[in-house]
Amino acid sequence: MERQIISKKKQVFSVEPTKLSPSEVFTRKYTSHLVPALKKLNMDKNSSQINQVTVKHEVDMALALSAQEFAWGRFLLQKLSSADSKSSSSNQTQILERSNDEDGEIEEKMKELQELLPGGKEMNVEEMLSEIGNYIKYLELQTSALKTIVQDTT
Amino acid sequence: MLEGLVSPESLSLSYADMSVPERLKWLQQLQQQEVLSQSSNDSPELLQILQFHGSNNDELLQSTFSHFQMLGSGFGTNYNMGFGPSHEAMDGCISRTGSCQIDPADTMGVMLKNSEENRAISLKTKRKSEVKTREQEKTEKKIKVEAETESNMKGKSNMSNKEAYSDTLKETSKGASEIQKLDYIHVRARRGQATDRHSLAERARREKISKKMKYLQDLVPGCNQVTGKAGTLDEIINYVQSLQRQVEFLSMKLAVLNPELDLSVEDLSVKQFQAYSSNLPVIVASKPLIMVDVPLFPLDQQGSLDLSVINLNQTTTIEAVRFYHSENFSDYSKFLLLVWEVTCLLYLFASAIYKLGNSVT
Repeated sequence: MERQIISKKKQVFSVEPTKLSPSEVFTRKYTSHLVPALKKLNMDKNSSQINQVTVKHEVDMALALSAQEFAWGRFLLQKLSSADSKSSSSNQTQILERSNDEDGEIEEKMKELQELLPGGKEMNVEEMLSEIGNYIKYLELQTSALKTIVQDTT
Repeated sequence: MLEGLVSPESLSLSYADMSVPERLKWLQQLQQQEVLSQSSNDSPELLQILQFHGSNNDELLQSTFSHFQMLGSGFGTNYNMGFGPSHEAMDGCISRTGSCQIDPADTMGVMLKNSEENRAISLKTKRKSEVKTREQEKTEKKIKVEAETESNMKGKSNMSNKEAYSDTLKETSKGASEIQKLDYIHVRARRGQATDRHSLAERARREKISKKMKYLQDLVPGCNQVTGKAGTLDEIINYVQSLQRQVEFLSMKLAVLNPELDLSVEDLSVKQFQAYSSNLPVIVASKPLIMVDVPLFPLDQQGSLDLSVINLNQTTTIEAVRFYHSENFSDYSKFLLLVWEVTCLLYLFASAIYKLGNSVT
């Protein structure tokens, strides 16, 4: 009986698992990293307050582990494993002024973009542009995965 | 034509029967006939050599010997030419020319063509060497370009580059004055532009960057309307920031809800993700809208902020908040969520006013 139930649940998966698109691969990897980590957090910290920072850390770690084929992923992993507490995300307090010179403006924006991307400072401009494309895509996937986790279980 | 060349009667004489001067005469005859017949063939080099060698008897002998070897190989075993020591050469000839069993009628033409090929390498006439060096240049440039761009090959541009490369492998005609500029991005020097290597490389680099910008434009929603590098870069920055903020927000929610979570991986199926990815544009679009519309505020109205726009954006965020609050959240978590949303809105206001202030001054 249980097997039937499980098999019925598993029918939701695609019939041909070998033809996975990279986004599917990523989401699977991501959830497989994140969910056990959260469970562990749940079990370890029995105190009522689970720090948001640690959760964020786990979230970022899961992203880094699932995106090892990209330079930014590797860089992110390095940064996280070295227990760097500085957060690279949201530049809430940084609003750069834009100079009037057109070329300078573009360069400044490139620099800003470089700061957003983990590991972007060590790359040159061309590399960074292509890495940014990947980063955006995988950030989108990450948000959808997180949403599913949050909404599925409440 | 060929029958007159190699008349069966002449060949019926065994070679050994002829005395040496007779042989020479016969050879000369043969050669003259060859020379005549070669007007139709496209082998001026051979013509030159034969004409050159025709005067000198020793060299004539040499050339005709080698020539004969080729001829002899073509005739197979029908005629015993009596070349004692040169049998090995003949065998070598066969392997060189690569023709073993050919019809006697075709032999001459084939042999001549083969000999022409064989001699072309050793000849090095002006025309041939020109073409050769041009080819060498091209291959050099190709190899260098390959080496350069090998490290820069990215997945998306890989296939298109390879197609361009195969297109550029077509050779130019002999009479072409310009040498084609071969590059992965197929950069061609136009009239009046610098053709040195540095500027070409610069141009190739710029085109690569513009290609990537176009790709990013497709990726980021709402980027198509804005033109120019600066605008698209702006959009991309905003989008990435909003995505990162979203991740933070969701992780905060996760932190709040973690004790109540009933996590089971089997439930989180791929299809559900896909369903949510279709929902994603709705929520995601609301956030970038907030950020995108801020710089697009109608500032030409003498700095007065169009409050209706802000209100519109506010409603979208409030809708998002309602969306989240429709779930069974505890009161405390709802409170936290509200606080978070309020801080987000406050930040947006502050940034809008700051930008407004910057642009006015």
